[in-house]
Parts: sequence; structure tokens; C-alpha cells
Amino acid sequence: MTDSRIDIRRLTKTYQRGGETVHVLDELDLGMEGGTFYALMGPSGSGKTTLLNMLGGLDVPDSGDVLVGDENLSQLSGNELAQWRSQNVGFVFQGFNLLPVLTARENVELPLLLTPLSKKERRAQAERALALVGLTDRMDHKPRELSGGQEQRVAIARAIATDPALILADEPTGDLDRTTANSILELLQRLNRELKKTILMVTHDPEAAGYADKVIHLDKGKLGRIEDNRKPAGAR
Amino acid sequence: MPFHLLFRNLTGHWLRSLLTILSVAVAVFLICVLHAVVTGLSRTVETASSNRLLVQSAVSLYVDLPLAYQQKLASVPGVEAICKWQWFGGRYEQDKGGFFAQFGIDPDTFAKSYPEITVTEGSYEEFQKTRTACIVGADLASKYGWKIGQTVPILGTIYQRTDGQPWQFLVAGIYESSTPTIDQQTLYFQFEYLRESLETGGAQGPDGIGVYMLKVAEGHDPVEVQRASDALFENGPQRVQTTTEAEFNRQFVTMLGDVPTLMQMVGSAVLFAIFFAVLNTMIMAGRERTKDIGILKALGFTDATTALLLIGESLLLCALGAALGAGLGVALEPAFQATVSAMMPGFGFDKDTLLLGTGLALAIGLVSGVVPGIRAARLTTVAALKEIG
Repeated sequence: MTDSRIDIRRLTKTYQRGGETVHVLDELDLGMEGGTFYALMGPSGSGKTTLLNMLGGLDVPDSGDVLVGDENLSQLSGNELAQWRSQNVGFVFQGFNLLPVLTARENVELPLLLTPLSKKERRAQAERALALVGLTDRMDHKPRELSGGQEQRVAIARAIATDPALILADEPTGDLDRTTANSILELLQRLNRELKKTILMVTHDPEAAGYADKVIHLDKGKLGRIEDNRKPAGAR
Repeated sequence: MPFHLLFRNLTGHWLRSLLTILSVAVAVFLICVLHAVVTGLSRTVETASSNRLLVQSAVSLYVDLPLAYQQKLASVPGVEAICKWQWFGGRYEQDKGGFFAQFGIDPDTFAKSYPEITVTEGSYEEFQKTRTACIVGADLASKYGWKIGQTVPILGTIYQRTDGQPWQFLVAGIYESSTPTIDQQTLYFQFEYLRESLETGGAQGPDGIGVYMLKVAEGHDPVEVQRASDALFENGPQRVQTTTEAEFNRQFVTMLGDVPTLMQMVGSAVLFAIFFAVLNTMIMAGRERTKDIGILKALGFTDATTALLLIGESLLLCALGAALGAGLGVALEPAFQATVSAMMPGFGFDKDTLLLGTGLALAIGLVSGVVPGIRAARLTTVAALKEIG
């Protein structure tokens, strides 16, 4: 992916819930610049996670287009989407979602198995990613031997291991205390500023959203206001 | 394909994996044993000689035939030699719980009729010359450590000595057999020793002969000899049934019932039981890994890879169990043979038996892995991740 600009055009997604059709995303149009840190906010059921899943190729829309760089995700098959994800997106989840049977290093190496790198190169790359998140001394620990913050750092290292242009984070600080949450948010901010990653972070937390360059508000599947934190009044 | 994940998933639930592997191992071992029994029985029948006929009472094998029948049978055209076979049913004094067969036979015609038997230690001539002598199978001699020239005391159960003492048989030879029809766990002694003891009052027991073996002369049709033999006693005093050695062996085996069918039924039950056990394990593993499946798919692994991980895990479980079960079979084969070779000289875990056990285990592994594998492949990433909140 040469350009990580995101264009969403008339994106629609509905679910059937108790015989009722729920419009989770309702002909949503949205453009996002590459290399920017976005926070996505909105009440529960506003379509934040659904939008994140669409952008990551984890879910498919009923209609509309999702363009990430040059790729129209709506036109890719399941296997093509899987391949696209492995090369272009890193995910950070609220519950960390590390494989419990693998060590921190092995968890980070996991997405690298889908690259043509040799075993030695994969190991080196995983160690670099873990060093970047400050976990050099915890590489051989399994998730249960790590704190929540450390687990989320491993998850972030895994998300950046393949050097994707886009990082999608779904409530990455939802399970963490304030201090740990701030350190994770600072890490994401650093990834955006130093490595120019495009980050889209779903959050309920206004303080967390404060770390983003821009805050997109969704309401009932439609686009609300967009705040720009880089303006002098909201700049951090 | 993250192969290390496959191994880690197995060791992650090591106790469950170990128990499943042991279950498969026991099942494979049982299937190998059952198959070995069936093939052992059929081998005993298949390798039987076509020029040996056996004459027994038409009523039952347990009813003896008169001694006088030998002379009449000798008159049947095509009969080259006759050898008496009389079940002795004694117990070795030093091992009363143990079992091995003893038969009273005619040494002269026995040697001519059973060229598959070779005396490898001692002398067959000595056996022929000495009234109280016997020849013993190599396995039997090895089991009890018998040497040539040693006297073996056997307590009669059917034929008891009137002095209350055990029968004394002098080991004159140790034989080996080149056919599964004849085992290496039997003691053969001179029938004349038994007959004389009965006639002189040295022993008591039923007189008569259990089975006459007729050796058919070359160029003669065994079927004709069979018919003539049966016809000879059609009007009594005691009717006989003449069968080929193969048929006799088959009848002897089926005295226990339809063993192959019974074995197949037990084997099928074992197979189904282990299939459900492995399937249950793999379905549990598949459900527990719903989250892992979602993570892998989110990272870019395909539906097929997630399915193959579960199929691979199931196959690995069953392959380890099969290797353990087959290995156990090979390790215990000598002990099994020592126990059952008197009944089933052809018993053994051959290549086909081991391949069958291993193949069935792998088939179970494949099917048990495919069920959760299909679920994993069909599961959408969002659904898999949602399932864990």
C-alpha cells in the first residue's frame, strides 16, 4: 500500500436483531488522510467497531465502498482480504488477544509467518518490534506472565511487526488503568508521529481521544462532527 | 502454516492431550490384537496341509473312536499312513496354573506325516525307541528351561496313574515347526505308553482315540479318501466324520463360536468409542480456540489454515497414539505369542496388522479434525472475536 488514505463511500451495513433491521452504518461517507492519528467516538451501537472491522477487511458491507490506498476492499474475496490484512493492517484489541500458548516473541512473530522472511529475519524483526515497545526483557514470557499493560504492548508490537501503514485499535486502553492507558496512548502517538502510521482508534474515553490528531464522531451509523486536536486550542 | 502453534496447542492442554493419546494407543493396541487373532486363526486354517485328513467321531470331538478303527481305515485306498492323536489333558507339576497341550501319537507315522516338524535338539530316533520319551516344542522347552534327557512330571487329569504319581516323560527331542498349523508349545509322547499303562492297570482312563490322522498317498484324491473313510463306518458301530486338516482346524476354532465376527464386532465397538472420544476432544479444542481462530484470521491467516491447524492437531494426537499402541503391540508380541500360540500358532503382529491399526487411528484423527476444522473455516473473524466479548 503506497498511500494509506482512506475513502469511505455510501457505506451501509445492517443487522437483523429480533426481527428488526438495525442500520449500523447508514450510507456513511468519510475521508481520512494517511499518516494521521484518528480517534473514533460515539455512543454504543453507533457503528464504531463495525466501521473499524470494515476498514480492516474483517467484515463486508451490504453496499458502498471502502478504499484504503489504491485498494477497494469491497471487491476483494475472503482470501484476498486475508492477504491484504496480513500486508497492510495491524490490529490492537481491547482484550489484547494474544495467543496464550505462545511467548511474547512468538506472538509478535505470528503475522511475520505470512511474509517471505526467513526464520532468523522473523526473529530479528519481532525483537525489533518488542524493543520499540520497551519489552526487550519480556520476550520469552507468555501472556499470563505479563501485566495488562505489557500484554497490550506485545499486541502493539505484533500490530507493527509487518510494518503496516494502517493500525486499527479497538478500545486499546479499555482494560487498563489510567497510568498504563496513558503510556499505551503515548506509544500509539509515537508510532504515528515517528513512523507515520495511520491510526484509527475506537474509544469511549475523551482523554484517550485527546491523544489523536482528529476525533471522528459517529451517531446511529452516520457521521457526526470531526474535531481537529491539532488546532491551537486542542493541541497537545 | 504456524506448525509450532500446532505443537503448543497440544502441550498447552498436556493432560487432555496425554489422555487422548493414551486412549488412542490402547484402542490401536486392541485393534491390532483383535486383527492378529483373526489373521492368526485364518493363517492356521490356510496353511493346513491338503494331503492330511482327520477322522473324528461324527457325534463330537469329545467322543473317542475305537482303537480297532485304525486297521479298517488302513484298508481305505489312498491311505499311506495313519497316526493316532489322543488328547492327554495333563498338568505340569511345577506349573499347575499353566497350560500346554499334550498328545499321545504314533512316532513312526507322525514323522512321515508332518515333514514341517524338525527336531533341532536331541534325537527323534531316541523318541521312537524309548517308550516314555517325548518331544517338546522349542517355545515350551524354552519357557520351562527343559533340557534333553530331563524327565518332565505331568499330572494326569483324564488319565490318572493308579499309584497316584505323575506321569514321567523323558525329553528326547526339541522340535521346531515351519508352519503355523503346528505350534511349538506342545508335548508329544508315544500313544503306546498310554495304552500299555491302561492295559496293565498302571493307569485308568477312557480307552479309544480322539482323532485319526490319515496321510493321503500322492496321486490319490483326498475327497475320495474322505468319502471312503466316512462310508466305511456309515452303519456303525460308531459313525465318523472325515475332514481335511483345514476344515478340522476351522471347526476347532469355531467351537468357541464365530470368532472372526465376534472380533470384528468388538473391534468396531472399540473404533467407535475412540472415534467419539477423539471427536469430543477436538470439538472441545475447536470451541476453546474460537478466540485464537479469530486472532489468526485477523492477522491474515486464511480459513483453510485455521481448519488445517485443527486437522493437523487431531492427526498428530492420533499419530502419536497409534505409534504408542503399535509399539506396545510389537513390544508385547513375544509375551502374547507365548500365551496363545498353542491355540493359535499363526498369531502375530505382522506389517498389515500394524498398518491397519495405524491407518484406522489416522482416519479417526482426520475425521475428528475435519469436524471442528470446518467450523473454524466457516467462522467469520468478527463472530470469532465477538464470542469472547
